[in-house]
Amino acid sequence: MPATESPFWNPKTETLPKEQLQALQLVKLQRLVRRAWDTSPFHRRLYEKASITPDQIKTMDDIRRLPFMTREDWMECQAEKPLFGDMITRPEDEAIRYHLTSGTSGRQPLRVLDSRKDWSWIADMWCYGFWGFGIRPTDKVFFAFSYGSFIGFWGAHYCCEKMGTLTLASGNMSTEQRVKQIVEMGVTVVCATPTYALRMGQTAEKMGIDLKKDGKVRRVIVSGEPAGSIPAVKQMIEEMWGGKCGDTAGMTEIGTIMIFECDHQPGGPHIIEDHFIEEVLDPDSGEPMAYGERGERVVTSFGRGFMPLIRYKTKDLVCKVPHTTCDCGRTGDIYEGGILGRVDDMKLVRGTNVYPRAVEAVVREHSEVEEFQIILSRREDVQDEITVKVELKPDQTGQWARLKGQLKKDLADAHEGLRFNVELAAQDELPRFELKAKRLQDLRPQY
Amino acid sequence: MTNEAKDLLGNALSTDERELVDIYTRLKTLSARDDLPPVATANVKQAMVLMWNACNDLALICEEPGCD
Repeated sequence: MPATESPFWNPKTETLPKEQLQALQLVKLQRLVRRAWDTSPFHRRLYEKASITPDQIKTMDDIRRLPFMTREDWMECQAEKPLFGDMITRPEDEAIRYHLTSGTSGRQPLRVLDSRKDWSWIADMWCYGFWGFGIRPTDKVFFAFSYGSFIGFWGAHYCCEKMGTLTLASGNMSTEQRVKQIVEMGVTVVCATPTYALRMGQTAEKMGIDLKKDGKVRRVIVSGEPAGSIPAVKQMIEEMWGGKCGDTAGMTEIGTIMIFECDHQPGGPHIIEDHFIEEVLDPDSGEPMAYGERGERVVTSFGRGFMPLIRYKTKDLVCKVPHTTCDCGRTGDIYEGGILGRVDDMKLVRGTNVYPRAVEAVVREHSEVEEFQIILSRREDVQDEITVKVELKPDQTGQWARLKGQLKKDLADAHEGLRFNVELAAQDELPRFELKAKRLQDLRPQY
Repeated sequence: MTNEAKDLLGNALSTDERELVDIYTRLKTLSARDDLPPVATANVKQAMVLMWNACNDLALICEEPGCD
């Protein structure tokens, strides 16, 4: 079969029977733990404290004997021994790339280094995802990405060069310039955050461009926000662009993506299990969650050599379901609904749990909405209030009276009857985003 | 040809897989030399890394990824 006809980037390991996949993971885990023990003082310290040695990893269940690694550990290690701490396994001068976490949570960003092999592996993981979603060497791929210290779509760019697509980097272009180039060049694949894919679509409308008629985009690949797996958001993107929208998710700590939606789109992305072990655990007890139960992602990566990542607590909230949910042939399990949010982004409002992603899922059901913000406040130092501020599309302002009531009802129905305030924002009042959107403001006093 | 006859799952290497590992091994040896001109060293290293990707992804080898 010609390579371009293969539905898989790596048919051999993407379709391995589960028991063989787990056997492969065990071999890789044993070698990874041995290497971390031998070359990373940070990991050696962690393991000695937990009284575990590499030769004690004999079965996959033994992974639970390994201590967790946290972002706080990583930050502390870099603060104590700037710039990179004692986690790195190689001399700094052997690195070829330097990146930072986005720092969206306001904490000290993490610094990461990659070797040539790390960097090429990072691109390869994106290849699994791009190929699996139907991207081929004949495509023209446009990156709406600023190419800075934040890792974002860097790896995806190199993946496209590796695959042989025509790769368009838009760097510091304005949104209007990007839209224009996408149409002018006959771009077939657009990569952006879900928020920015929507923004480009809205900008095109304002420019009088109908992307469905004037453009040739057949795929929109999104990453960086949980919204990429919200069906209403995907539908909006698909209606704007006229192409299928697929979600991916990764993190700077692993340098790349660990999950991607295949062309069959079974309702969530597949895990790249020949390169990662993805555990789903109860965030409090650390006990494994069964298929279909929500828990925290804990990741072990086999690809990053400079900075080993073993049992890293991500704080991502996920729900794993078996690979058989999809009929594509991959044996990597699936995160149903993608990344569902953050374990720590749940807000408690008058006794009800509120997740920003769940609010977004409701708001995006209403196509009249262009942008929104969630504002938490406290009235008279006693009562918590939640307000959703909504900016409508310019031609939809006449719908406000009806929409306001509907939104209040839908939001309450999705949150055990919790009362939401819903307010109308003026045109262009709310902030727009290119990278990760920040749509929640918690103005309540922090104690 | 390489002496590594089995992949990480214990399966015998196919002819194509043996060739991939053999090319990788030769590039690795070449990229470790310090007496070649910069143009050769840098490009051989890049080629070696790409072959490592192919062999590593196909589970033919399991080597320290941080090492160039």
